[in-house]
Amino acid sequence: MGNVVELKNVTKKFKGFAVEDMDLQIKQGFVTGFMGENGAGKSTTIKMMLNLLQPDAGEVKVFGLDYTTHEKVIKERIGFVYDGNVFFEGLNLKDIKRIVAPAYERWDDKLFHKYIEQFDLPLNKAMKTFSKGMQMKASLAIALSHHAELIILDEPTAGLDPIFRRELLDLLQELMVDGNRTIFFSTHITSDLDRIADYLAFIHKGDLIFNQSVHDVAENYALVKGKLDLLDRDTEKAFVHIRRASTGFEALTDNSNDVKQIFGDNVVIERASLEDIMYYLKGGIHHG
Amino acid sequence: MVNLIRRDVILQKKYLLTYIPFIVFFIIMGSHSALTFLVASIFIPFNAFAYDEKAETNILLNSLPYTRKEIIAARYLGAIVYMVLAIGLTSLALLAFGEPFTMKDIAVGNSLFLLFAAFTFPLFYILKSGHIFTVVLISFLVLAGIGPQVVIFLVERLTAITDFIARFSVPTLYTGAAVIVIILYAISWGITTFIYQRKAF
Repeated sequence: MGNVVELKNVTKKFKGFAVEDMDLQIKQGFVTGFMGENGAGKSTTIKMMLNLLQPDAGEVKVFGLDYTTHEKVIKERIGFVYDGNVFFEGLNLKDIKRIVAPAYERWDDKLFHKYIEQFDLPLNKAMKTFSKGMQMKASLAIALSHHAELIILDEPTAGLDPIFRRELLDLLQELMVDGNRTIFFSTHITSDLDRIADYLAFIHKGDLIFNQSVHDVAENYALVKGKLDLLDRDTEKAFVHIRRASTGFEALTDNSNDVKQIFGDNVVIERASLEDIMYYLKGGIHHG
Repeated sequence: MVNLIRRDVILQKKYLLTYIPFIVFFIIMGSHSALTFLVASIFIPFNAFAYDEKAETNILLNSLPYTRKEIIAARYLGAIVYMVLAIGLTSLALLAFGEPFTMKDIAVGNSLFLLFAAFTFPLFYILKSGHIFTVVLISFLVLAGIGPQVVIFLVERLTAITDFIARFSVPTLYTGAAVIVIILYAISWGITTFIYQRKAF
């Protein structure tokens, strides 16, 4: 299966923050969850995928095409949903559709009205009167009505109540019935990822730590607990991060097979949740 | 591209109702017809900028299948389209009120508009959003207020220039001024495109 998005050695520097030398591939036909704490560089990366930001160095390709020559063709095939409302607050959905629809060659009015009905959205009320959930639904309806092959969502679940969050995730899953479709969404809420992601990309302080299938992440990462005397310079190398306490250590490994071989039955190995992984990696990776 | 130009009207639907009274106000106040033409032209394009100041609008436009070149082109072409419409409307309003006006008034008013647009449009993309509208408003008032005095001052002191200008016939002068304005507008368009293509959202 091919890659829909490819970032090669992409660097973007800001004051006090940088995404450096990032290589990221997004697989076609899957849901990739993009996780990382606030300020890790998720939005910066997404903006580079949409050419809202241009990288200082490196290459961004979407559908195998680059933005300098194929900007319109690429964007025609992308549906986008942002964290905040990017639509004009004072306008109602009907007018927003009037502005957005003509931009797309493949805009499907029937489909749009289907979503409006499904989401129970008013066409004649100003966007600013919408609740956060309704705004998200409106953005989604607009993003989904031009048969986009790649749907990029930046923190779509932030600020939504749990029930609507679940509805949204179910809806995204339904969209995946179309096998060509790819969904890329960023979040810092790890339970969203457990629910629908096929692949997980984890970014931390501008570095991509991993981009693996959910299965591989579950296989490789583990929480390990044991006595302090088991740790020495060599054995510590098996861990990504270690927390020591007087009663023993608790550590995260990205290679649970190695840990099994080194420690055998002397340690307890538990499945690491995504939250565990995020929490332990927060201090950065220090092997040994 | 046409969609981008049409967008300004959709956005300003409500404001458009105040458009006619606005023109009428200037006519009743006995403003020079050229000034009425100038003000009428400014209305839609600059109102549109006030809307687009917000970063979100640029995020939206740039996420849609438009190139940055097109977004700027729509601004500059749109200003001309709306200027032409404003000429029509203002002429009708002036006729309705029995106010006399000449082609010269239209030419002067709209040359001033294009000149003003040429200088301010790039500012909208250079300056931080939030301050732009104030800056433009103030610069307009300042220009309108002290501009004529400055010209008079220059005319009195720099006889070399006035002598030079006086050598041309009136039609040549007007054509020359028009050509200069158009060139400035085109340069401004180029500069704004250059700035906008390097912007981050």
